[in-house]
Amino acid sequence: MNNSFDFSNFSRQSPKGILVIYTNLIYKVIRVTWLLLFLILKDFSKVFSIVGNYIYLGLVVLLLLLLARAYLIYKNFQFKIADERFILKQGILKKTTTSIPFHRIQNINFKQNIIQQIIGVFEVSVETAGSKKTEIAIKALSLEKAEALKELISKNTQFNQHPTEKDETKPLIKIGIKELFKVSLTENHLQNLVLFLAIILGFFQQIEQIVSSLGDTALFDGFIEESTNALSASFFLVTVLLFFLTFIALMSSFVKIFLIHFNLTTYLKDDSFEINQGLFTKKTTILKKQKVQNITVSTNPLKRFIGIYFITFKQAVSGKVNVKKNKLIRIVGCKAEQVAIIKQRLFDATDVENEEKKYPDGYYKRRMFIWVFLFITILYSFLYLIFQQIEILYSTVFVFPFIIFLILKKVKKRFYKITETMLLLGSGLLETHHTYFEIFKVQNIKMKQTIFQKRSNVADLILQTASGKIKIPCIQFKDAIEIYNHTLYKVETSKTSWM
Amino acid sequence: MTDTFQNNTITSFPDITKTEFKNINKLYLKVMLINFSLVFMLFLIGLIVLHQQVFTPEINAFIIAIYLLFLIVSGSILGYLLASFAKRKYAIREKDISYQEGLLVKRLTTVPFSRIQHVETDEKPISRIFGLSSLSVYTAGDSSDDLVIKGITKEEALQIKEFITTKINE
Repeated sequence: MNNSFDFSNFSRQSPKGILVIYTNLIYKVIRVTWLLLFLILKDFSKVFSIVGNYIYLGLVVLLLLLLARAYLIYKNFQFKIADERFILKQGILKKTTTSIPFHRIQNINFKQNIIQQIIGVFEVSVETAGSKKTEIAIKALSLEKAEALKELISKNTQFNQHPTEKDETKPLIKIGIKELFKVSLTENHLQNLVLFLAIILGFFQQIEQIVSSLGDTALFDGFIEESTNALSASFFLVTVLLFFLTFIALMSSFVKIFLIHFNLTTYLKDDSFEINQGLFTKKTTILKKQKVQNITVSTNPLKRFIGIYFITFKQAVSGKVNVKKNKLIRIVGCKAEQVAIIKQRLFDATDVENEEKKYPDGYYKRRMFIWVFLFITILYSFLYLIFQQIEILYSTVFVFPFIIFLILKKVKKRFYKITETMLLLGSGLLETHHTYFEIFKVQNIKMKQTIFQKRSNVADLILQTASGKIKIPCIQFKDAIEIYNHTLYKVETSKTSWM
Repeated sequence: MTDTFQNNTITSFPDITKTEFKNINKLYLKVMLINFSLVFMLFLIGLIVLHQQVFTPEINAFIIAIYLLFLIVSGSILGYLLASFAKRKYAIREKDISYQEGLLVKRLTTVPFSRIQHVETDEKPISRIFGLSSLSVYTAGDSSDDLVIKGITKEEALQIKEFITTKINE
């Protein structure tokens, strides 16, 4: 046992933390001012001749000020553990004390960015369901101290203390470079491309804003105009562009997967999972089983072909769900048997899987068709009004079969299976998602029925959970009522803690 | 073991459809009407200002149609409010609280007491004139869609709040 550290009194982080905080501060300053810096550097000689050595002086003063700030942050940052609580004092002028009871902790993260890796310290952060931000983040702890802290917290948070007789050192999942390569190759490239383009677009907008505020847009506009003219002129260029986009899409998938999931290893612990991953920033997440609200096992046609799945764990969140989207915990590249082990560790899913699939009523398909075609009709009328060219309508030859194919796919993938205790929900368009959910974790239940639905005698069910909504659309009214009553019964008779 | 358990329970679930729902207080209709007329007046004044000051003669050629459209839209909203008022109902059972509303889109929500994080009653100015309150129930997580019952008497709201609070603490 390496619990030689005493956490019961207030202690500071490792002095190396000053360096970590310092670089973090510098990074923040650069991120805010990089465009300004860029402009200064561009006209460096001109600016330099005016203000001369003052630039250096200003820079030195700024760096010194930041250093002083980093030191003060370090000096005022203290934490301790008392009465099963994690207590943190911080703040230079505005003093804040945060206190988190262990049983409220959802997960513990260990992170190491490049600087932390070089100087050999760990960042420890603790998350609860309470707030949007991470409540506690200790920037620099030595390995031994971090390990001791982890052990202390995860041991104290165990509710049913059964001894660890199993050998837990062997990882359940270990994704090597080859597997990661496969995962990247079978990603949804289109989605990643859009994501990448969105980032680039945001980046350009930022530049354009600054440039236009300086009244220097002519060059930029000229460039865009020129390239669009060339684009419409040459079929060759379009092909090149397509190849280029494909390349970018592939690259963005690879970069994304390799950055986040590099060297992914997952360990099973008594009441938690430990997930290690990351290329530059290494991250270890300790996920408590009890705090998992639901899991989604997903795959797509390519991934299914080579037999890999990814699992998304959802925990209770506060406020709007999408805020914490980057905090979703995901294990990529699982084999079927690994998925089975994880499922079995969390809950008994065999019953629900053996249940027969129930599909939404035909009303669901009709509703989808009506809405989508309404949307497309409006879209086409707008396009026609703008361009005034009847040729636009020719594209429907390709668009319509494609959309019909997509809708049919989506409808086919919608199903649910329900047992006494579990709900399994299928969804997805090209990807396939299976969400497993324990019924007693529902927070509230809602049934929605429009007058059109009433005529077909169907209704939507919406189960609100601590990690977001789960929708079962357009099922028979009779079934909806049955599930409604059954769910309420389950929730109201359960004594188990649900989050 | 699970089989027998299943057989036992399936017939004996308390049925939400057989629960007696209570209408909200009739006085709340007046509150809704006052609120509606306030908003209506605001829009009407806005439209008149637009008519007199902003619109060009080309637009003013259609001014009767514009007023008519405005009246029809307002009228149908008012009609819907009146017609759907009777559909606003709530029910409190031993272990949960339910609320339903809607004429064209019918919504029924139930929140079990054991999942409630906190309860809130508040009185808006116009409701206060009639001695009415609204009761909001919050659960953990994304709580944008939890349950709100508008238009019950203040005593009743406090009673329900008290009842739920004791139930949560059990």
